[in-house]
Amino acid sequence: MTRLMKTTIRLNSAKAVYNGGIIIKFITLILKNPFRNKTRSALSIIGIAIGIATIVALGLITAGMEDSVQTTFNEGGAEITVTNATNVGGSSGLLDASFIDDLKNITNVSDAVGQLSVSESNQSLMQSRSPVLGTTVYGINASKLNLVGISKVNGTIYEENAYEVIIGTRYADLNNLSVGDNLTFLGYDFKVVGIFETGSMMKDNGVYTSLSKLQNISDTDKVSSILVKTSEGVNDTIVSQNIKDKYENVSTLTSEEMSSMLDDVIGILDAASLAISGLAILVGGIGVINTMVMTVYERTKEIGVLKSIGWKSGKILKMILGETLVITTLSGIIGALFGILISEVGVRIIGTEGFSLVYTPKTFILAFGITLIVGIIGGLYPAYKASKLAPTEALRYE
Amino acid sequence: MELIRLTNVLKQYDDGAVTALNNINLSIEKGSFVSIIGPSGSGKSTLLNMLGALDSPDSGQVIINGIDLARQKDLSDFRRHEIGFIFQLHNLLPNLNVQENVEIPLMDAKMPEKDKHRRALLFIEAVGLLDKRKQKPNKLSGGERQRVAIARALVNFPSIILADEPTGALDTKNGQKVLDVLRFVHESIDATLIIVTHDIDVARLADRTIEIRDGQVINDYYNR
Repeated sequence: MTRLMKTTIRLNSAKAVYNGGIIIKFITLILKNPFRNKTRSALSIIGIAIGIATIVALGLITAGMEDSVQTTFNEGGAEITVTNATNVGGSSGLLDASFIDDLKNITNVSDAVGQLSVSESNQSLMQSRSPVLGTTVYGINASKLNLVGISKVNGTIYEENAYEVIIGTRYADLNNLSVGDNLTFLGYDFKVVGIFETGSMMKDNGVYTSLSKLQNISDTDKVSSILVKTSEGVNDTIVSQNIKDKYENVSTLTSEEMSSMLDDVIGILDAASLAISGLAILVGGIGVINTMVMTVYERTKEIGVLKSIGWKSGKILKMILGETLVITTLSGIIGALFGILISEVGVRIIGTEGFSLVYTPKTFILAFGITLIVGIIGGLYPAYKASKLAPTEALRYE
Repeated sequence: MELIRLTNVLKQYDDGAVTALNNINLSIEKGSFVSIIGPSGSGKSTLLNMLGALDSPDSGQVIINGIDLARQKDLSDFRRHEIGFIFQLHNLLPNLNVQENVEIPLMDAKMPEKDKHRRALLFIEAVGLLDKRKQKPNKLSGGERQRVAIARALVNFPSIILADEPTGALDTKNGQKVLDVLRFVHESIDATLIIVTHDIDVARLADRTIEIRDGQVINDYYNR
């Protein structure tokens, strides 16, 4: 009784010694509660995280493609590419070099240059599962490199008819080449004299040499395509149409059309991303509702107790909703990290020849926005149900 | 001094098929220790829920501390300030330790953190669990858990302590400990203690015993 008497005095006078420490906060309760049933919470988190990871991965890839498209069609390059209409990849699809001068005479064409592209598949590289499956060398007059968007070269530009090439930064990285190294193509050794960077994944994966040298080693005097630069302020589509009207055996592709084609691909990816986002909301939302409804059922009596000690319905609602948001936020973080990981690993394994992921706030805002929506949608019903429990019924619940 | 007054309190369930409380009239003095006894289904717990503002009567009046409960828009504040509930099962939050469980009712109290903390420790000490304040409920015995529930119910210094079969799930030894603590705290903070019990020995510890059967008071007497 000594202890009881002593405490009685202290209770009445309320002069107990403060031992330090922090009183439990509402937020602490919200942070702790979701992990009372670790397995169920973990499964719920995994379910949502997979959806978020997919959204993030698709977002990074789509942004990467968009960025690549934008840099591919940067200013200064040719606006129209002219090819043989019968071109199916064989030599019959080549164009006569004399055709270049014909095109220069068309109204609103300011310049035209022939380009020959020759590919060599590399069996040994294919067998070694290297990301580089083959090399395509483009032959173009050194003074016209600006028409393919190459303006700055680290080193020098190749000499006419010399066994010299310039290579893109991506190509150099992937093949571990630098200025002064040799590159073997069609059995000929070419010296790397310069490395360029345009910002376009396709171009930066390219190899360029003089047109005359490439024609010489591939035994042709023709070109694969003619790059046409139009006059300032001219409608490229009209010029393109003029070319087609005048020469029936050619096909043309403006940079706008090419951009539009790539935009279509990006659009498909965007649509897929949107569909997956919707599915993630649906599947994640149902998963979260299931988890939280079960939680509310299990904790019915506890909710009754909390109401009996004076908790308002709004506080119960906030607690359950808060717990749901803890689960979904955690899912969002894990999903985003996993999305980054799988897309980075995927890009390296698949080998997209210079393609790089682009990290934009949009991707993560979308992912976390969906996380938030899933949390609110998934938590609202169970939270409302819990808040509306009559305390007497809740306390009777078995 | 009168603390609680019930006038013609009627409570029915299942569209009137079951009458839990049948025109109860009751007055309870401030600071008293009252036991309510009766068989299962007699209306004891319903009466306790009325006194604790957890349930409202179909007709009649419940006045506590001069407040007509029917006129209160939100009874949660009233419960927080005036009532301390103790249940047959402790219903502690399993993921929180003893101290955190006791602190829950103080979360919204408008007082410095230091005072909240001090008060929680005071009641944990009062129920004899100061050395176990950092332990989770699953590490405590049934009696200890019930003592934590008592500390949680009383930490807001309620004017009324309502205990529904507080020793019902405990063995004799632990039950006695819990009763000791209840009586001691009731005296210490000068609260009115109302216990619902099946156990006549527990009922006899109270100053006054009210016997209920079929929703009516059939006996009301003082033990000393």
